[in-house]
Amino acid sequence: MIDEGIENYRKSDKFSEAEKLALEYSELMQFEPEKIDKAFYAKLREHYSDEEIVELGSFIGFNVGYHTFFRTLDFYPMFSPDGRLVDQEESRRIYGAKPTSHLRGPMARATGTENE
Amino acid sequence: MPNVEPLSEDQIDQKGFTKLLRRSREIQAPDELFVRIMAHAPGYAKSLHDAMYMSHVEGNVDHKLKEIIRVQLSRKAEDTYFANLRSEKAKGDGLTEERIEAGCGDFENDSQFTEAEKWALRYAWLMYREPGKLNAEFYDEGKRHYSEAQIMELGGFVALHYGMQVFMRTLGAFPMHDSEGNEVSQAQSEKIYGASVNG
Repeated sequence: MIDEGIENYRKSDKFSEAEKLALEYSELMQFEPEKIDKAFYAKLREHYSDEEIVELGSFIGFNVGYHTFFRTLDFYPMFSPDGRLVDQEESRRIYGAKPTSHLRGPMARATGTENE
Repeated sequence: MPNVEPLSEDQIDQKGFTKLLRRSREIQAPDELFVRIMAHAPGYAKSLHDAMYMSHVEGNVDHKLKEIIRVQLSRKAEDTYFANLRSEKAKGDGLTEERIEAGCGDFENDSQFTEAEKWALRYAWLMYREPGKLNAEFYDEGKRHYSEAQIMELGGFVALHYGMQVFMRTLGAFPMHDSEGNEVSQAQSEKIYGASVNG
């Protein structure tokens, strides 16, 4: 569902219209903020209260800011996707140099099943 | 009017927001408008404002340098609100508009900045333009000027403020006051400051 929400939410039947709009809000804030205008906020208000919009908007902004910073620190999760404590070198090997779906590599590398 | 309307003073739980309103009136970056918009989600307003204040005003990196960086970032974010605000504390400590402009411009070739300040300005400049250049070598150079605590303070400050500027940009807001400190409407503020974020 995470992968669906990142790659295919617009066409997916797994998300409600409200959820799709929130995902679009996030995507646009990162890549095309100029498209988040009065009309967009009016659409958001069809599904969310102002409190929820402020929560979502500031949450997204916070993450936009922080993920770029963290990228520059070049560190990896302490745990593998299957829950084991791993060192940074192992974590880098499992998760890879670029963020990707856990279903396309990291889980297999974590469990040693990448060649199956 | 911003795309999320600010709550009026009457609508805000004064008891819960006394400190935030006091700080915003004192520093003016952000001003009260940010608090009143964020007050729709009170928990978020308090924790984010606390973090923004701490990262901007407190800590071990000079506030005036962080103020230049804040303005530099807001121009990258194209946020008309934060780009047009100025920290009253930084001004009181001697930061001039000319120095802000220099820090947002060709600071690499400007002798008024020390090597340490140039590194910090470069750090902010590159973070959302060419983050790939902020590699181990870049951080090693930073460690010649700053402790790791200061680097984390700077990086965290950059991340938090840029993120909030990206959000505020989408709200289409402007400062509550003109450059002389008079309270103005959003329409007047837009007329004064204009749609451009550059100085």
